[in-house]
Amino acid sequence: MRKILINIGLLILAFTVQICVFPQISFLSSAPNLLLIFVFICAFIEGKERGMLYGFIAGLFMDLFYSGPFGFYTLFFVNMGYLNGICTKYYYEDYITLPLVLSIANDLIYNMYIYIFRFLIRNRLNFGHYFMKIILPEIIFTTVTTLVCYRFLLFIHRKLKEWEQRRDSNLV
Amino acid sequence: MKNSKYILAGLSVFCILLIAVTSINSSFLMPLRTGVGYVLVPLQSGVNAVGTSVYNRMRDFSSLKAAQEENAGLTSRVAQLTEENTRLQSEVYELSRLRELYQLDQEYMQYEKVAARIIAKDSGNWFQVFRINKGSADGIQVDMNVMAGGGLVGIVTDVGANYATVRTIIDDDSNVSGMSLRSGDTCNVSGNLTLYQEGRIGLDHIKKEADIQEGDKIVTSNISDVFLPGIFIGYAADLTTDANNVTKSGYIIPVAQFDNLQEVLVITELKNEGEKHAENTD
Repeated sequence: MRKILINIGLLILAFTVQICVFPQISFLSSAPNLLLIFVFICAFIEGKERGMLYGFIAGLFMDLFYSGPFGFYTLFFVNMGYLNGICTKYYYEDYITLPLVLSIANDLIYNMYIYIFRFLIRNRLNFGHYFMKIILPEIIFTTVTTLVCYRFLLFIHRKLKEWEQRRDSNLV
Repeated sequence: MKNSKYILAGLSVFCILLIAVTSINSSFLMPLRTGVGYVLVPLQSGVNAVGTSVYNRMRDFSSLKAAQEENAGLTSRVAQLTEENTRLQSEVYELSRLRELYQLDQEYMQYEKVAARIIAKDSGNWFQVFRINKGSADGIQVDMNVMAGGGLVGIVTDVGANYATVRTIIDDDSNVSGMSLRSGDTCNVSGNLTLYQEGRIGLDHIKKEADIQEGDKIVTSNISDVFLPGIFIGYAADLTTDANNVTKSGYIIPVAQFDNLQEVLVITELKNEGEKHAENTD
């Protein structure tokens, strides 16, 4: 329970940093998608139920912030949390390749989702341009940030696990 | 857990339903958005302030070195410019005399405005929307026009008690009805993601015979439902006749600077109200 609360706190922080700080840094042509990184790493470490929960919360934040049709982002993040949660059986602590592959795949699908449902349906067909100018930079930034975030979240995960184990042994 | 598949399916269906319902009518979610706004906006303001100050300090430091070098070069230019200045000053007197002759019209109608600070932006590059720290408590309403740097920036699309979301005119979804200040011929100013990255906005639906030329000032037109008339948008450029040989299209170089917006002015007058007011005074 305590772990979920801490993760939700981190989620709010990630969301705030993403929409308040990154846009200020004008020399960045793109910014990493922290919310996406956070949801998929947590889902990857903790399984599909937790992934769905974090995805739901992250999606709600996005939907509350943007005045599009409500549920657009929630739908994506819930499914992403679930699907990444399935990969948790391949989870092995110091194995970084799979999270990186997942980060590329997730960000690509996320941007394709936005492109198809918000741009393609309005007859914006110039996909090559959007891919080079928006999707590719964001994927690169997100993947690099994943390297750091994965270590950080893993560290928190371990600490909390230790803490829980210690508490359990005290009880016994 | 076996149930997780059903939970996922349930949540997905719930989201799709919400998307369908809110596409038609999104007002019933307002209390929820406002409630979350009460919690998140102070947090966003705080993080925003910290982020800005840290970033500014970093930038100050890195620009200090460049400034010292620049200073040496500039000192020598001062002498040169002083000389030039004396010459130009005499021309200023001439200019002011000519201006009086022309009696240039006031460019904008005077609207009541409220200043607001931008506290959050979309970090991805897909949508050009931002959030400001004033909401319905400060008299902001949906469809109010937003300006910065003397030009139109966007329109309020969503208002909570202490925040408002603004969609800029460079957003891919945005369409503004405009007209040439010189001739009064109408056109449509449409935001476009591809063009925005070159610092331009699209300009289309100009009748072929309309008198709009490159360099014309484009302002919001009288016929728009939501935009107040006479707000400066930008300058027309690169006009070409379309393939259908009926309309012309081109680009607008916007006057407002969109990449480093920090503060904006919200015009607290709605188009419909303004017209009612005008009718009453008649």
